[in-house]
Amino acid sequence: MSGGLSVAIREKRFAGGPPVLGEIAFDLAPGERAALIGPSGIGKSTLIGMIAGLDRDFEGEIRTPPGRVAMVFQTPRLLPWRTLAENVAIVCGDPRRARALLGEVGLADAAHLHPERVSLGMQRRAALARALAVDPVAILLDEPLVSLDPASAEAMRGLLDAAFERTGALGLIATHDRREALVLADRVLEFGGRPARLVSDRRSPLSRAERRERGAVEALHADWFGA
Amino acid sequence: MAADAAEPVASGPETRPARRRGGVLGARLGWTGLSLLGFGLVWATLAALIGSDELPGPVAVWEALLVQIRTDGYLGHLGATLARVAAAFGLAMVLGSALGLALGRSAALDRAFGGWLTLFLNLPALVTIILCYVWFGLTEAAALAAVAVNKIPNVAATLREGARALSRDLDEMAEVHRLSRLDRLRHVVLPQLAPFFAVAARNGLALVWKIVLVVELLGRPNGVGFQLHSYFQLFDVATILAYAFGFILVVQAIELLILEPWERRATRWRR
Repeated sequence: MSGGLSVAIREKRFAGGPPVLGEIAFDLAPGERAALIGPSGIGKSTLIGMIAGLDRDFEGEIRTPPGRVAMVFQTPRLLPWRTLAENVAIVCGDPRRARALLGEVGLADAAHLHPERVSLGMQRRAALARALAVDPVAILLDEPLVSLDPASAEAMRGLLDAAFERTGALGLIATHDRREALVLADRVLEFGGRPARLVSDRRSPLSRAERRERGAVEALHADWFGA
Repeated sequence: MAADAAEPVASGPETRPARRRGGVLGARLGWTGLSLLGFGLVWATLAALIGSDELPGPVAVWEALLVQIRTDGYLGHLGATLARVAAAFGLAMVLGSALGLALGRSAALDRAFGGWLTLFLNLPALVTIILCYVWFGLTEAAALAAVAVNKIPNVAATLREGARALSRDLDEMAEVHRLSRLDRLRHVVLPQLAPFFAVAARNGLALVWKIVLVVELLGRPNGVGFQLHSYFQLFDVATILAYAFGFILVVQAIELLILEPWERRATRWRR
């Protein structure tokens, strides 16, 4: 597949341990948004790290689309000794653009603050702005909504949608929360077993507009995963 | 937007540290001044009661200081010592940091040379000084080397801890965002090491001050250590105290005017 993400892993194990990931193969088309679900600790973050190029010690092949792959970590990983604006500017090299990106995620007024002075939700949004600063063709997100209060999670969800719309980037979102997956993704890949494999790969019947309605998401959740 | 209402931007904290900084420094200087005044009174009283040259009062020491400045190059000796401290301190910080970072980053190096570090950490300062003078002669280079060698293991041990504590998470963040080596150093690595540099500098300076005097006493023709030795032979306690106070003044000035402001700057971002 050209221009998309192609994952074909035979096996991944950490030094001396048992295999963590078994045979896993899937392709994402340009612009496609997929969620990767499965219980905590099954290896979702491991796979995300491999796709991001942080871990090259595995058997198999991962081809990323031409261009930059951005990653939003589960913890925001901002530099605590730099302001939010500086954190973004260090990546894009342009303070004015950094401010514009922070404005895009609703942080224009907080740009001059240090990360420890703002809430986790705001730190996550700054991390998203930083990811967007590399002009990504693909964005990897690790548990983007975990430990946020409902209002912050809702705001973050809207920002993610807007970010994907604007950049047209393909997305892979690791989450342990099935509802979150149904809200965010066109396609849901499910991990199971040990070593982890893909146990299902389903395309969401909901349009991006329909996914914003709680009822539609609940109905699909009941249909796919039972009550 | 709605999200902003849910998470109000903290207002004000940006201006607070500046105000607090000035106030704290002022209050501290005030109390320190009072406390020292008390010390001066106790000292003067004791000296008056004892009435001996072996415990001169503040006035006698002040007069000895003036005599030294006029006739025996007090400021020159103080300057010579200061220059040695600066040179040895700089040398030890650079070499010790490089060594410590290398040991902290490489397990193999640490296994090979960690034992050496322990050895040198426990080598008495006096032994290093004597050996340096014996091997390299009574030269300025030998003196500086002796002080630096005493100090390098401390700096290395501190910075080794710093290198070990470097965050893997931030390292991955820098990798994903493809930060240049220079940017990684400036924005990711050095800020994490700053507190360790500060500790090494602070402990280091205290150590270097003391060892420089011993080095001067044993084998230099000038400096505070040399003068102390000369006036010890004359049993001139007033002059010895005059040098001690000049010394304390300089150390405190460096602490207050250079080290503390730098540490505050380096930790400004903390909550």
